[in-house]
Amino acid sequence: MTFVEKVCVLGAGSTKYGKLSESIADITTQASVLAIENAGIDPKEIKASYISNVFGVADKQVHLGPVLMSRLGIPDKPSLTIESACGSGSVSFREAYANVAAGFYDCLVVTGVEKVTHTGTEWTTTYFAYCSDFFYEGQAGASFPGLFASMARAYLTEFGATEEDFARVAVKNHDNGFLNPKAHMQKKITIDDVLKSPVVASPLKLYDCCPFSDGASSVILCSEKFAKAHGGDYIEVIGSGRGGSPAALQGREHMTTIPSTKIAAADAYKMAGVTPKDIDFAEVHDCFTIAEIVDTEDLGFFEKGKGVQAVREGRTSLNSDISINPSGGLKSKGHPIGATGVGQVVEVFDQLTGKAGARTVKDAKIGLTHNFGATGASCAVHIFQSV
Amino acid sequence: MTIEEQLIEYAKQGKLLTHKCTKCGYIHLSTAYYCLKCGSKGFEDLVLDGVGSIATYTIITVAPAGFEKFTPYAFVVLQLDNTHLRISGFMAGIATPEDLPVGTRAKIAGFEDGCGIIIKKQ
Repeated sequence: MTFVEKVCVLGAGSTKYGKLSESIADITTQASVLAIENAGIDPKEIKASYISNVFGVADKQVHLGPVLMSRLGIPDKPSLTIESACGSGSVSFREAYANVAAGFYDCLVVTGVEKVTHTGTEWTTTYFAYCSDFFYEGQAGASFPGLFASMARAYLTEFGATEEDFARVAVKNHDNGFLNPKAHMQKKITIDDVLKSPVVASPLKLYDCCPFSDGASSVILCSEKFAKAHGGDYIEVIGSGRGGSPAALQGREHMTTIPSTKIAAADAYKMAGVTPKDIDFAEVHDCFTIAEIVDTEDLGFFEKGKGVQAVREGRTSLNSDISINPSGGLKSKGHPIGATGVGQVVEVFDQLTGKAGARTVKDAKIGLTHNFGATGASCAVHIFQSV
Repeated sequence: MTIEEQLIEYAKQGKLLTHKCTKCGYIHLSTAYYCLKCGSKGFEDLVLDGVGSIATYTIITVAPAGFEKFTPYAFVVLQLDNTHLRISGFMAGIATPEDLPVGTRAKIAGFEDGCGIIIKKQ
């Protein structure tokens, strides 16, 4: 593949994640303004926007792109809204990346957003299940926690892990999220807190699950030429990969592996010319504790079945072998589903430009983002390097 | 009948309607339009017994709308005998993991609007 331009992230910003009172249109704009100001650009330099969102209908606003562009004073610029369930943000980022790399645009705003907490748990549980292969899964009563719990049950059976092992992932991510002022659940928890929390879908308990969150994240994506001309901090996108999996769990060869992650990661590593050992930290899709364990194996950081042992030994904690989810991950930072994939890039930008404060991964040069939709039916992996 | 309605009709008889590729012989659930292995579009119907063992499952206590009245219930993935195919479904009356160890023998036992393909212990 030949690319015309090297692609860089020139600015990044997020609203707080959590229960927000502002409208979806407003938080989309707020995050975009943070990214624009962080990049130090004039909005009129933006050539187009890529918006990721799943349930705009819940806040009576779909077709968010033109609304954002109007509020930014650039209503004449094109926009595109992308839905790929919980992976929408990274998929949108990838499409934006491809357009800059191909030379179509030299500067884009990529913004992800979700606003659902006002709808309540039953609404979100019900509508999120529409992201499954509904005829086989949602229709038979599967919730999203239920689908990941099915993976967790298979993992417990196959690899002799324990529910306490899953709990360690939650505790670790809350330790990190405690250091993130924008996290939805900025508090520490204990293994006991997790084990004693109510069962949502056995074997997963409430604290094995990420929260439903509102929030928006935005980055300014541009060509290297544009970034250099502007000055200021920027990071380079050195790898971009995408992959797919059978939509329903029943169609997968292994219940404890997400094929799309492996495919997307292989592409991204190849493009970047790096191996899993070169990655200093990773923001991975930990919608449930089991997911982080499976992700770290599928991304090649640990052998299949060894992810739990790595967590037990603290090898994924902040500033250990490989810092996994220094932001707190979906589990503690929160999971506004359309925003999450973009929010991961915001974290990588902050880490690689020295803006991550108390949760800084020391001497980090290369960061990876991994974000998927549904049970990993669609996935994107990106690799970034400090400049 | 739609392709999904056909699958449902067989599920009501405890059977699974599948699509066997006429070119390479690979078997798919009947909602497939192209062969996963060879890309061919030619299929013949093959009806399998809906009998197998539980590959994995979960017991759901926080349910999507319409399922609250069944909690706790299981969402299961059934590994069918003598084929690679698995099928997901709803299983009522499961309260604890002791009720349903992985590997438990089970079968397709119908279809109902509101809970999809029904799977019961054998």
